[in-house]
Amino acid sequence: MNAIEVNNLSRRYGKVQALKAVSFSVERGELFGIIGPDGAGKTTLYRILCSLLLPDEGTASVNGYDVVSGMKEIRRRVGYMPGRFSLYQDLTVEENLRFFATLFGTTIEENYDSIKAIYTQIEPFRKRRTGALSGGMKQKLALCCALVHQPSVLFLDEPTTGVDPVSRKEFWEMLSQLKEREMTIVASTPYLDEVRMCERVAFLSEGRIRGIGTPDDILTTFRDTFNPPAIENPEAGTKSNENAIEVKHLVKAFGSFHAVDDISFTVRKGEIFGFLGANGAGKTTAMRMLTGLSQPTDGNGKVAGFDIRTEYEQIKKHIGYMSQKFSLYEDLTVAENISLFAGIYGMDDGEIRRKTSDLLDRLDFSAHRNTLVSSLPLGWKQKLAFSVSIFHDPHVVFLDEPTGGVDPATRRQFWKLIYDAAKQGITVFVTTHYMDEAEYCDRISIMVDGKIKALGTPEELKQKLGQPDMDHVFTFLARQATRCAD
Amino acid sequence: MVLKYLLRKEFTQIRRNSFLPRLIIVFPIMVMCVMPWVMNMEVKNIVVDVVDNDRSTQSQRLVHEIEANNYFVFHGQQPTYAAALSNIEHSTSDAIVVIPQHYSRDLVLGRTPQVLVAANAVNGTKGSIGSAYLSQVVIARASPSAASVQSQVSTLYLYNKQLDFKRFMIPALFAIVMMLMTGYLPTLNIVGEKEAGTIEQINVTPVSKWTFILAKLIPYWIIAFFVVTVCLLLSWGIYGIVPAGSIALVYLLAMLLALFFSSFGLIVSNYSDTMQQAIFVMWFFVVMLLLLSGLFTPTRSMPYAVYLTTYVNPVSYFIEAMRTVCIRGGDMGSIYHQVLALLGIGLLMSMWAVQSYKKNC
Amino acid sequence: MRQFIAFVTKEAKHIIRDKRTMLMLFGMPVVMMLIFGFAITNDVRNVRTVIVMSNASYATRQAADRLAASEYFTIVKTVATPAEAEQTIRNQQADIAVVFAQDFTEPGHGVQFIVDGADPNMAQLWSNYARAVLMNAEGTAVNSQMLYNPQMKSAYNFVPAIMGMLLMLVCAMMTSISIVREKERGTMEVLLVSPTRPLLIIVAKVVPYLVLAFLILTAILLMSTYVLDVPLHGSLFWIFAISTVYILLALSLGLLVSNVAKTQLAALLLSAMVLLMPIIMLSGMVFPIESMPRILQYVSAIIPTRYYISAMRKLMIMDTGIGQVFRELMILVGMLVILLALSLTKFNKRLE
Repeated sequence: MNAIEVNNLSRRYGKVQALKAVSFSVERGELFGIIGPDGAGKTTLYRILCSLLLPDEGTASVNGYDVVSGMKEIRRRVGYMPGRFSLYQDLTVEENLRFFATLFGTTIEENYDSIKAIYTQIEPFRKRRTGALSGGMKQKLALCCALVHQPSVLFLDEPTTGVDPVSRKEFWEMLSQLKEREMTIVASTPYLDEVRMCERVAFLSEGRIRGIGTPDDILTTFRDTFNPPAIENPEAGTKSNENAIEVKHLVKAFGSFHAVDDISFTVRKGEIFGFLGANGAGKTTAMRMLTGLSQPTDGNGKVAGFDIRTEYEQIKKHIGYMSQKFSLYEDLTVAENISLFAGIYGMDDGEIRRKTSDLLDRLDFSAHRNTLVSSLPLGWKQKLAFSVSIFHDPHVVFLDEPTGGVDPATRRQFWKLIYDAAKQGITVFVTTHYMDEAEYCDRISIMVDGKIKALGTPEELKQKLGQPDMDHVFTFLARQATRCAD
Repeated sequence: MVLKYLLRKEFTQIRRNSFLPRLIIVFPIMVMCVMPWVMNMEVKNIVVDVVDNDRSTQSQRLVHEIEANNYFVFHGQQPTYAAALSNIEHSTSDAIVVIPQHYSRDLVLGRTPQVLVAANAVNGTKGSIGSAYLSQVVIARASPSAASVQSQVSTLYLYNKQLDFKRFMIPALFAIVMMLMTGYLPTLNIVGEKEAGTIEQINVTPVSKWTFILAKLIPYWIIAFFVVTVCLLLSWGIYGIVPAGSIALVYLLAMLLALFFSSFGLIVSNYSDTMQQAIFVMWFFVVMLLLLSGLFTPTRSMPYAVYLTTYVNPVSYFIEAMRTVCIRGGDMGSIYHQVLALLGIGLLMSMWAVQSYKKNC
Repeated sequence: MRQFIAFVTKEAKHIIRDKRTMLMLFGMPVVMMLIFGFAITNDVRNVRTVIVMSNASYATRQAADRLAASEYFTIVKTVATPAEAEQTIRNQQADIAVVFAQDFTEPGHGVQFIVDGADPNMAQLWSNYARAVLMNAEGTAVNSQMLYNPQMKSAYNFVPAIMGMLLMLVCAMMTSISIVREKERGTMEVLLVSPTRPLLIIVAKVVPYLVLAFLILTAILLMSTYVLDVPLHGSLFWIFAISTVYILLALSLGLLVSNVAKTQLAALLLSAMVLLMPIIMLSGMVFPIESMPRILQYVSAIIPTRYYISAMRKLMIMDTGIGQVFRELMILVGMLVILLALSLTKFNKRLE
């Protein structure tokens, strides 16, 4: 008997058709992947399968129980980790875990083995309030909470978004172990290496299933979406010798905790500089100091020729910034957002109008000029946010995990924009958790425990540490970490 | 110039919001149409029970007098005091008049009979005003000598000859409108940007904090200005009440209060991280400021220590000055020290507000 | 059962760890009690008085002294003409002017009070008091008695009202916010998918607030007896029994709000607009219901707080038995049954 059986499932919200005649089945004990861009209908599908939503048409059953009539039985048997799994911010790490364990009628001790690999990383902080953890740490705790009980079917909605590569690997190893205990797992993910860990995957797009098959089949059939040809960095090695960013012995301490602990580096003008590190290594803190949002505790630095301690208002005139949280106004239209930020940097109306048309043409966005940003798909929003952040031709642009949760094809397009910017002489300072993106950078640094552990071109690092690719380089360094939260 | 773009953004956002435009329209209308009727502490319709232990012509004349008086609602005659008291306990009546035995005999003999007036004083104001009027009626009947003295005393009520409660309350309602429009709304707006993360984006741009703060406040000041106008028109249209003094002074006072509330809201928003926190903290202080401002009860009845707080309570200055202008028809000369105090407190708060807003920490 | 306890402890921790809200929850009752108990009074006190006399005869002097000696009036000025007195009142330097006629003692030439009528109630009270002070020489025919509240303290009127408002605030507002918070943050999805019964989730969420409500109720009663000297005449049993009905009613209202609201902010605004505002305005807490226009009186009839406050005033202050509040109790019970049934049937076991 199949663990999950879905026949012709449809669901709409008002005018939006979230799912259209979706049918598939998952065998007992299978690790099944659901992949597809943001807004494809994945979350709706999960919610219907968990009996949280009613389908408009079609039927679905989990472990033989119908999702409409067998609500109680299903809820007794499934585990679900929503995309934005939220923990109780005011409870400590341990209290959260204990609560969810009790909720599912089990205890931490009973299931310690099944969460050990990840829980040991956050265990040193078990007395800390969850709200004080960094984003990646929270996600790890959420994983532990989802895995602490042993349901017969487990639904995971993009469980590793924002988690560093090392922890992602550990997480998927855990999933493979669970599979051996006959647990059925349905997971969605934007990461290709994770897709390859599944036995079968379904490609969902605009509410329809486009294909089901082994990961290799799907990734080849839909090559354009998932594995577009790598892009070439057009002019590597022709950077000027002028420094756009200079940092010497920079420290930021919160009490006795050194989030950034004595880092020094320089970034040349027009360079694409990858700023890598595990969750909680101190990347965001360092970036906040460079953008003039926070004062360094010690050390000094210069961005675009201005001191970060004293001339931070000057710096702000010459940089662009795009943050982890999506940073355009959702209730303004595309054109209104552009004109707002352009106006802030002192452009006049005529110039704004001209440059806006240029930009929208270039992005092929002209049709959406007067669309509210909130109704754009995530990938588009991020491209737009990036374009807005370099609209005033800054010397340096800071990108904080700009491509989180976006499908590979859109990420490629995004990086094309980055290359274009670099060609115009804009220095790009970017953080990312995607190691394929790390390869695109001219130079990268890897931060571990608040210190820079490695710095150089991707090739140099691979050679120096004797690792085959960036993924291994990163894993090799990040595993040396002794602390794991900021 | 940057201000222009920021202002355009704020107005667009207010317009697009599903809730705010409705609030801005509905709130003043509700405040002006409903509140004056509700916030009416007028004492009237006092329900009276009479216990007549004398049952003479004289005593019945007194009973009829009470019955005929428009001020009271005559509930009936009760056989005993206990029966009348039970009515009070059921809240079906408010006061009892007990006419003693030998009432008419005492009157004839020239002695003063002792009539008992007992009022439910759980609500002290109602009890004391009610019993005072009852006493006057009784005295006029029962003690001619005292009545003649009473007739020498006359009372002239200035400014509000009909003793209309609405005239008293409407100027104070402006304080509530300003509080919401220039205090609450900008605060929620700023904390909302904090929660959404967009404020980070503004903080890394060269926008100066003055520009940013002004861009947040100016739209709500304009809205407040508009709302005050609507309120003035409504109070004229519905109740026929127009300020006795100069309209310009009304606007001046409203704007000074706006300065205070905006600064105060800004301070709250700088110290809170979530909307919920901001709302609670604001609510707490606003309730205190309003209750202790003399909006409902005279400040001079407060204990001395509490009365001292009115010296630093801008709402108190506002309400006093507003009533002077609107009801008593005062001019600048009558309210200059309230204006100065409001201005001083407002400026002090705005300095603190700008000081506490940090782009770099 | 273990799940239930885990739920309740979790909820209790949320409440206890949120320092600002805790401060609100316990600070608010204390501050409200103190403000309403001491500061918000209509007592006639420190009334600024201007004496108008054109020639100071012995009799007028004596009368003025009598006013000055009373605890109600403070003489701020003596002027010659009524016009001057009026100017003083307009500038907010005085509240009442007492104008003595030239030959004040002669029959037919009396006293005139010129009162600032801006506040109608106080204006009447001032003139009544002034009249009483000036006339007190006469043996009067009336023996006035202020039932239940001989000193006419405002606190007697306000304490039951504060109870009604705060219990509603804590139970309805806080419960609805805490349920909507779980929806908004996404934890509700996990809770619903867990094997725990949805009803259990709701009951467990409500229990800590129930306890909190009783704590606040007890705190208010203690404060009113020991700090404000407000009597607590009626039977404690009935006071708590009726309060329990009222608290449950408020909790069901909170549940209803949480079903409608999607975000915490919406829940907050909804309970502020739909619950708190009408309660403060229309329950007879501050503004007497009988002075409202008929239509508003009808509206106030559906506000549960009105009946609770009325019952508490009778029980606590007027020392009546349960018989006198039977009607209020029945109405509250009826409302509770309807609201509870409504909120439980409306509770969503799925997401909308």
